[in-house]
Formats: sequence, C-alpha cells, structure tokens
Amino acid sequence: MGIQLTHFSAVLLFALFTSIVFGITQRAEPKMMVRFGAFCFVIFAGATVVVSWLMFAIKH
Amino acid sequence: MATEAEQIAQRVPGEKSSFPALVLLAGWLVPGAGHLLVGKWVRGLLLFGSILGMYLIGLGLQGKIYSTSSGDILDLLGFAGQLGLGLLYVLARVFGWGASTVLITLGDYGTKFLIVGGLLNLISAVDAHSLANGRKKGA
Repeated sequence: MGIQLTHFSAVLLFALFTSIVFGITQRAEPKMMVRFGAFCFVIFAGATVVVSWLMFAIKH
Repeated sequence: MATEAEQIAQRVPGEKSSFPALVLLAGWLVPGAGHLLVGKWVRGLLLFGSILGMYLIGLGLQGKIYSTSSGDILDLLGFAGQLGLGLLYVLARVFGWGASTVLITLGDYGTKFLIVGGLLNLISAVDAHSLANGRKKGA
C-alpha cells in the first residue's frame, strides 16, 4: 500500500484530522467545538505557510 | 419524591463504577468507541474517521512501525506514541504493515502521522472517560 502526497497536501490532511480531534476533545459545546477546530486548522496551516516563507527568506 | 426504581438508577456521589474505566479502555482499543458507549455517536464517528485517516495515511506513506526490540530511547518514545493506536497498532504489527525503517523522505511524515494518531487517540479516550464520569459536561 502506497500513496503519493505533496508536502502541502500532507500538511493540510494532518491539520484537518488533528483539528477535528482537538475541537471535539477540548471544548464542551458543539458550536465551540466547530469554532475551535476551525481555529486550530487555520493556525496549523497558516503557521506552516509562514514558517516555509521564513525558511525561504533565510536561504535566499 | 423519587420512586424506588429512580433512586436505584441515580448515581450515588462518590460511588465507584467500572463504566468510566470500560469507556477508557474501549476508546483506546478502538478509536471513537468510548464516545459511542456514552451515546455521542457523531463525535465517535468523527474521531474514528480522523484517527483512522491518520493511521491509513501513515501506512500509505510507508511510515515506520516502532517496537521495543531496538532498545533506542527515541524508538521507545515512538513505540509509546504508536501504542496509543490500540488495536490498529496490533493489526499493523501482526500483518507486518508499515515499514521497519524509513526509506523515503515522505516515510518520515508517515511515521509522524502514526505517532500523532496514537496520541490523538489517547486524548479522545480520556475525553470519553471524562464524559462517562461526569467531569466533562456533554451537550
């Protein structure tokens, strides 16, 4: 069994699944679960993009 | 005034029950099963899908399945994280899924998916335990 993923798609999938679990387990109300899950997803994906550009800037 | 049957069904404060422990064990062995036992079907299915997704992607990227045989402390940490996958980890060991060593660059990502999947499953099992013993109020 083997799958091909780009680095970015791997990050997005990681952020998606992790955010779902964080949202469900770290909040008590369904509405807050969705909000916190979305917040985690944005932070995960956004931080990856920012750090990637930082690494690009350091190298160049 | 509560009837006799209602009095029996009410939980006595401080009473010890094996149900929360059962929920914790079920949640660890099968992702989301703890939430299913406490009646949280949607949460249980979402947790099952998420953790199974992490597991399948990890295997698909040829992530490493850790064991205790190497004796390396970092391998032991990886083993502890992947043990959180419960029966999914046992299946991987029994059927020889995953890689014994990381051979490709993305394989390292796969290893991280497997470890984090195990840790997320532990968090969800503890969450189900908190729902079962009333520490977390479920809506």
